[in-house]
Amino acid sequence: MYDKTVRRRRAALLIFLALSIGLLTVYFGESAGGGLHAVQRGAQEVLAPIEEGASRAFKPFRDTINWIGDVFDAKGENKELKEENARLREDLAEAQTAQREAEQLRDLVGLPKGELFPQATEPVTARVIARSPTSWQSSIQIDKGSSDGIEEDMPVIASGRDGGGLAGKVTSVGSGTARVTLITDESSAVSAQVMPDGAAGIVRPTVGDPDDMLLDFIEKGRRVSEDTTVITSGSRSDRFESLFPRGIPIGRVTRVNAEERELYQRVHIKPFADLKRMDFVQVLTEPGISDARAALP
Amino acid sequence: MIPGPSSVIRVSLMILVVVVFQISCLVQIRVLGGGADIVPLLVAAVALYAGSVPGAATGFFTGLLLDLALGTNLGASSLVLTAVGYGAGRYREQRDPAHGLTPIPVAAAATAAYVLAYSAVSFMLSIDAPVSLLVVREMLVTVLLNALIAMPFFALARRVLRPVLMVDPSPRRRRESTIAQGPIGLRGLGA
Repeated sequence: MYDKTVRRRRAALLIFLALSIGLLTVYFGESAGGGLHAVQRGAQEVLAPIEEGASRAFKPFRDTINWIGDVFDAKGENKELKEENARLREDLAEAQTAQREAEQLRDLVGLPKGELFPQATEPVTARVIARSPTSWQSSIQIDKGSSDGIEEDMPVIASGRDGGGLAGKVTSVGSGTARVTLITDESSAVSAQVMPDGAAGIVRPTVGDPDDMLLDFIEKGRRVSEDTTVITSGSRSDRFESLFPRGIPIGRVTRVNAEERELYQRVHIKPFADLKRMDFVQVLTEPGISDARAALP
Repeated sequence: MIPGPSSVIRVSLMILVVVVFQISCLVQIRVLGGGADIVPLLVAAVALYAGSVPGAATGFFTGLLLDLALGTNLGASSLVLTAVGYGAGRYREQRDPAHGLTPIPVAAAATAAYVLAYSAVSFMLSIDAPVSLLVVREMLVTVLLNALIAMPFFALARRVLRPVLMVDPSPRRRRESTIAQGPIGLRGLGA
């Protein structure tokens, strides 16, 4: 009797472990259009209304708990914001002058104005209905999908410091929901450029620290200064081909390491988008896609 | 646990509620750079009150739902949570803990095992990016917060599971030591 119980218990454990490993193996082996991925998308569609309802229902509870934490953070943040405000006032005057000059130059070389963010894109606002609880996979689920004009690889932006910036890209789309892989996901790599220095590199995450990202593969000779802005490069070259249109702000340079032994400089940046707390995001769709979808019967 | 549809329905509803609450609400609440994760708590609670096989089954299906809902690597959470559920269940079967505070160390151990094992699985699968030491802080905060909320969470789980359990898991009074009872537990009977 005892042996039978032990055998049954061990058999149950082995079956569940074997099923898990089997699922993992098949999932990794198949393409994004495979059976398990399709089941996963179907499950997300089914669960989306429940998650959306729960997200709305629990918002007051979430906000209350977060408000308590914010009160403690606010004191320290106040001093930083005052200093930043003074600096921004100076930056604004410089930026207005630069913008006027840039417009004149653009007219001269005939560059189309529409190619710069956000004119060339059409933002679709979506609610975040679920997000991954671990640092190892940073993804969120939103309540807009292919019926709203959203397609894979479209950039996603979120609010935050200095008006916000790039949050991630759409990696999977259902009819009414989509999965967004954040720039803090270990698989993320964004082709970027430092402005106004012009140095190009790849923005990669530091797993576990969403406030510290790395701008890698910058040639050592290129000078990168602290407190400069990093934007998506929109590059078409083989080396740094970008999925994102040019000009989406990513973050601000906080630290530059240039060790003698290293071939490339290592630049630390702090993302503009507040990736820890996002209730809403915007997907930058191509103009006309949402209108065309809406016009369909 | 008494096998039957009632047990399956109760545990399934618990899994659905906990997973939805975790990914829609709790994950957005940050305390000291980390957050509570009630998913391993659910698996540990079912295992502690129902045993290793229901614990492993709950772990497998909870992980499956979590991976399906989030679009993450299918099977990774199932693998880890199955082991966590089985381990917590075996602890109950071998030690039969009777102390009222048992949920706290069980929750802390289950959460620690979950976050460590999940990190190991993630590393084995595909982590190319550099990893910050803040991951360790986040893990510690999660273990700490889960230990703090273990008592009310396990009490709630016990309340939901009680009608389908073979043995009532209410905290029992500790047996007195043999010094107080006498060598064969009869001291004081004649008084």
